[in-house]
Amino acid sequence: MITFDKVIKKFPLGNIALEDISFTIEDKEFVFIVGPSGAGKTTILKLISRELTPNSGTIIVDEFDLSQKKFPQLEKLRRKIGIIFQDFKILIDKNVFENIALALEIFPLTKKKIKEEVKKSLSLVGLTNKEQLFPLQLSAGELQRVAIARAIVGNRKIILADEPTGNLDPKTSWEIMKIFKKIESEKTIIFATHNIDIVNSLKKRVIVLKKGKLVKDLRKGKYEI
Amino acid sequence: MKEFFLSLKRTPYQSLAIFLVLFFTLFLSTTLFISLSFFHGILGYVETRPQVTVYFQTNIEESQIFKIKDELINSNKVLNIKYISQKEAFKIYKELNKDNPLLLEMVSAEILPPSLEIYAKKPIFLPEIAEFLKKQPGVDEVVFQKDIVNRLISLTKILRYASFIFFIFLILMTIIILVAVLSFKIALKKDEIHLLRLLGATKTYIRKPFLQEAFIFGLVSAIASFVILLIIIFYFYPFLQSYLRGIPVLTINLNFYQLTVWPINYLFLAISFLISAFFGIIISVFSTFIALNKYLE
Repeated sequence: MITFDKVIKKFPLGNIALEDISFTIEDKEFVFIVGPSGAGKTTILKLISRELTPNSGTIIVDEFDLSQKKFPQLEKLRRKIGIIFQDFKILIDKNVFENIALALEIFPLTKKKIKEEVKKSLSLVGLTNKEQLFPLQLSAGELQRVAIARAIVGNRKIILADEPTGNLDPKTSWEIMKIFKKIESEKTIIFATHNIDIVNSLKKRVIVLKKGKLVKDLRKGKYEI
Repeated sequence: MKEFFLSLKRTPYQSLAIFLVLFFTLFLSTTLFISLSFFHGILGYVETRPQVTVYFQTNIEESQIFKIKDELINSNKVLNIKYISQKEAFKIYKELNKDNPLLLEMVSAEILPPSLEIYAKKPIFLPEIAEFLKKQPGVDEVVFQKDIVNRLISLTKILRYASFIFFIFLILMTIIILVAVLSFKIALKKDEIHLLRLLGATKTYIRKPFLQEAFIFGLVSAIASFVILLIIIFYFYPFLQSYLRGIPVLTINLNFYQLTVWPINYLFLAISFLISAFFGIIISVFSTFIALNKYLE
């Protein structure tokens, strides 16, 4: 479960990124966070992964209180979270297998187990037989599939997707969404996006942000501009 | 090892710069260490040479000289005493002046004084021994090399301090240069570091390959600098042999062990290498640690 309670985040120059944000996301819930650029979508995701810390308010992620100043369980928390970025963040000097294995090598797993897990995730994202290819040999859609595979391996419970279809054409975006549909029953998914079609078609919970404020929180909601 | 060679391939110039900086630092430090050890060895050798020579009047009884000798031995301040009789003194004189028959004709054993060459346990006993001897009947002259030993002791002290300051400066300079060069190298992997942090990798996990690389750099630089130093030492070995002719052995006192420095001793060389490798690895690892911290916060 993820809980935000009266969270305020200001950036060093004083501009407010989030103002008095409160919401709760249940385990295995699929939530869209929508809003225009600068609304605070990425800030919420970064607060959940504790890339940022709030100025005030409480953030609880899977029983971890992220509002504490010192947070020694950072690695423990992050091992439960998989992150998908708009720009994929795939390492170009590593092949597909190595990019995905990166997320597993931090766990005490055998090479055999890592291989098994990578193969399983590649099959889930539809990239079987492409494990030896390098990023420059892949299309944007394939790169995002690699990023999804990397985010889901290692039994990560929470998936943070920061505009994962932002750089993709509509057809590829839908293919990516199909992967999210496959994993939604097992993971908590927080999906930040601008894509009206995707949000409106899936009929999931929608949290709408505007200038750092939560303006709507709708079950089976829609994205209205 | 695969990661190390990959890193060399990716950043050949930075890797070469790291190697060269470490190589020169270790080469200079080890040269300094070996030179200082030799200097200490020489000082130790000089300290145990006949430091006090007492010349007796020619008419003194031998029994009286032996009495003084026994008293000195019983004082516990003396390492060894060598008695040189008139006959032996004449033999030495003849040997020294064998090419000058005129000088040999003028001198006989009777006019040369008998003497005692006294080896003190420590240089600080020298003035005491000299004072004691001056008070003895039948003593003609007391000669001791207090000045030479004192000068050597102060020179060693100056050298030790100067070397220490130079060494600290060298280490600091090396660390600063290494941190600068390593920062470039690590910057190329900053995306990977950031990603690993987000995936939940611990700082130790991320540091590990960088520190392993630093370890290899430290070790390889130490080996290379030591091999070059060995080549130089063995090239100059004949010169050293002739320069240190007459000195059978030089040692340094390590409190628990007398380590032989000269003739070239493999244990001393092994210790020098281990110290060099230890410093090389520590400097390299420490610099990497500092350079990495910026990207781990």
